Amino acid sequence: MINMKATTKATTAWLNSEEYKEKNFAREKLVINPAKACQPLGALLCALGIENCLPFTHGSQGCTAYFRSTLSRHFREPVAAVSDSMTEDSAVFGGQTNLIEGVRNAYALYKPDVIAVFTSCMAEVMGDDINAYIGLAKHEGAIPEDLPVALGNTPSFKGSHITGYDTMLKAFLVALATERQAEKINDRLYVVPGFDTYPGNLREYKRVLKIMKAPFTLLPDNSDVVDAPNLGTYELYPGGTPLTEVKDALNAKSFLFLQSYTTMTASKYVDSKEVPTETIPMPIGIKGMDQFIQSVAKFTGLDVPDEITQERGRAVDAMTDAHQYIHGKRFSLFGDPDLLMGLVSFLLEMGGLPVHIVCTNSTTPFKKAMEALLASSSYGQEATLYPNKDLWHLRSLLVTEPVDMLIGDSHGKWAARDANIPLVRIGFPITDRVNLHRSPIVGYTGVINLITMIANTFLDDVDRNSPEATFEMMR
Amino acid sequence: MFTNLTKLDLKDKPCLSEAGSPKLCMKALPGEGAERSCAYDGARVVLMPITDVAHLVHGPIACAGNSWDNRGARSSGSQLFRRGLTTDIMENDVIYGGEKKLKAAILEIAQRHHPKAIFVYATCVSSLIGDDVNKTCEEAQKELTIPVIPVNCPGFLGDKNIGNRIAGEVLFERVIGSGDVSKEKIPLSINLIGEYNIAGDIWGIIPDLKNLGITLQTAITGDAKFDDLRSAHRASLNVLICSKSLTNLVRKMEIQYGIPFIEGSFYGIHDTSETLVKIATALGDADLLARTLVYVQKREDETRKTIASYKKVLEGKQAILFTGGVKTWSMVSTLAELGINILAGGTQNSTPEDFQRMKALMDPTAQIIEDTSSAGFLKIIAEKKPDLIVAGGKTKYLAHKTRTPFLDINHGRKLPYAGYEGMIKFAETLSRTVLSPVWGHLRREFPPKEGEQDD
Repeated sequence: MINMKATTKATTAWLNSEEYKEKNFAREKLVINPAKACQPLGALLCALGIENCLPFTHGSQGCTAYFRSTLSRHFREPVAAVSDSMTEDSAVFGGQTNLIEGVRNAYALYKPDVIAVFTSCMAEVMGDDINAYIGLAKHEGAIPEDLPVALGNTPSFKGSHITGYDTMLKAFLVALATERQAEKINDRLYVVPGFDTYPGNLREYKRVLKIMKAPFTLLPDNSDVVDAPNLGTYELYPGGTPLTEVKDALNAKSFLFLQSYTTMTASKYVDSKEVPTETIPMPIGIKGMDQFIQSVAKFTGLDVPDEITQERGRAVDAMTDAHQYIHGKRFSLFGDPDLLMGLVSFLLEMGGLPVHIVCTNSTTPFKKAMEALLASSSYGQEATLYPNKDLWHLRSLLVTEPVDMLIGDSHGKWAARDANIPLVRIGFPITDRVNLHRSPIVGYTGVINLITMIANTFLDDVDRNSPEATFEMMR
Repeated sequence: MFTNLTKLDLKDKPCLSEAGSPKLCMKALPGEGAERSCAYDGARVVLMPITDVAHLVHGPIACAGNSWDNRGARSSGSQLFRRGLTTDIMENDVIYGGEKKLKAAILEIAQRHHPKAIFVYATCVSSLIGDDVNKTCEEAQKELTIPVIPVNCPGFLGDKNIGNRIAGEVLFERVIGSGDVSKEKIPLSINLIGEYNIAGDIWGIIPDLKNLGITLQTAITGDAKFDDLRSAHRASLNVLICSKSLTNLVRKMEIQYGIPFIEGSFYGIHDTSETLVKIATALGDADLLARTLVYVQKREDETRKTIASYKKVLEGKQAILFTGGVKTWSMVSTLAELGINILAGGTQNSTPEDFQRMKALMDPTAQIIEDTSSAGFLKIIAEKKPDLIVAGGKTKYLAHKTRTPFLDINHGRKLPYAGYEGMIKFAETLSRTVLSPVWGHLRREFPPKEGEQDD
């Protein structure tokens, strides 16, 4: 026993060493504790934001069970989705029968107004032509001829959950939206939130857009689906962007994309249809939200309402009240590109020092943008971006170059524990705390919420660890 | 390359539907929306609790990304098993093959993470692109001093049960009795087969075994160490806990090593006692049996005394039960112990035998849940209006939306429910769920109708 303990101790010491870090970063063929999910999960989340839409995976049935449980554990909500349960037979003969029988059964059972069909790996490796299969399904009368079906190719061995979201969003526009016609252009601003697991964020966007008197459509909008009220009965389709508005999307007065890396192909598609489009960073932090407000004000042509100015003032007030708790503190962050851009921007505004930034699903444009953001502030000088690294790399970073706090999703709790620092949970999935997804991290409200989470976590730590002499009423 | 289903005797026997049970072994209908997992998941469920080994997934990100440390199986020692290890197959690997990457990953793990063995899981993608996981493991093992064990369990082979059985097969072929281990039987020793130490279940059983003088050689595979598993054939008796999913394993162990097996359950007072007595009887030691009979009586009395206050509040409540495996029938008597009446019961991943056993234990008026889709589940809740639902996490939030108290008894739970101690925890947790004041708020109409008192 003693020997075993000694070995464990020695192993831990070695794992925490600079030497191991080097070996760890030389690792190429193995991913340890991954911090990304796969394309179809993102596609599913996107599909939940369309009214009366049934998400449908064309692939092995286990994939869907995993997506549903991952999403369900984060949102603490039931997640409706079906699979066509491809098996060994389909591996030999192709997935045509499964897809046709699958949509037939799903339509009969769940009566959707639109079906979002997206693939998992198996169908993609085999090269199933889902477009042709759906044509056949309609031809055979498995589903009505006029039932819209959006098709997304989303194998897990490519991209990540954010590209799957993007693919599905574009698929909805391709399948549902009618061509742009000059005489049919509507007066609405189509706001695309991007891969966002905070219904609180979506509600915040809608609240602010209403205050700003902007006619808008949030596309897609899963806030009422993943944060459905408890009214005593379960609704299979409790909300989402109305189908009529999806159909009319290309007649939008303009489009505003609130994330860059989760909507690249969708925004390109909208742009190619000659719809005025603008992409701004996820509105986290004062600067981020200012840009959102200005974009919306430009759209409406109206002055920024007093109510918004007051809100902004309250957020700035919260920043001044709490600056001393964050200024100069060192942070590690991991997560999706857009979220990281927003959080780093916010930390720089507060004088926090980002040190390690790990992004498993990084891309070259993101790397450039992040480096430019860091270069723009004196507080960004200590930071290094680690593209395409995992949480085991992050662990090495935390134990060899210590920081004061880790910011990321629940998967970060092991690394934070090993480094003996607090983890502030922001991102996806959050499976070990309640309600975080209900509070916005975007907008001026989000600024206040972020300060609350970060500063109070530091202060809780101080209180729990301070000796009696410095244990004080005021902090 | 694919696991040969016929060879493994994995194809289910004809359904027992004519005997009155639903078609439990029927494949999921495409598009029906029953939330079933896959063969890969089934193999992970059985093998992942082995603590001091590395579990490497040769697949795209989702297979490992969605399943590392997602089961709540606990370890008293090494935590290595919880590390999420994957080759993260990408498009290039799909085109050019992933064997080289896999081998490099195996060597990296062996060198840096010091596992006792490495289990390598094939997935849909690795199987479809033709990666030979067996050969790669064999090659890697030549360069190492530890076993590298392939688990051929692509998800498309079918339901979770099939994966369970493949894992049993792997344990039998590659682990049990392997290496330089003694063949000598250990007197009064048992293996608990199909006990995965979810939420620490096994720690509620071990003290009673110890008190009786029974040695637990290993659980298969809760809190199991690789070396203990290798010596599993030294046990005198196999006790099959999670009913049928590992029947193939115990049968083969009986033939090869002469270890008899019995079935049992440690959920609830009645089944715990019955299982302990069955173990004592099967071990064939008269003294042990005499001890056990006295002991279980004492433990039953103690436990009943402790749960009496919970029983008082739960008695007469009406429940819907929906689970799988051994819990199908074991939960019926556990709930009955607390005076809870079962309005309807159903199962997804159980065998017809499990199901028949459940049916025999339930009140004849209790309804059988035939339609296991979300739609079917909601319909039965609406019809029966139960006071509580006891089921797995998949239905938890659905149940909450119907404002019905819900208790998770599958792997999503955080509290151990096995053994006498587990029964106390179960009763306590169930009372807390059912008696929570939140259900009252939910059920009150708002705004209140005129003339109705707002209490």
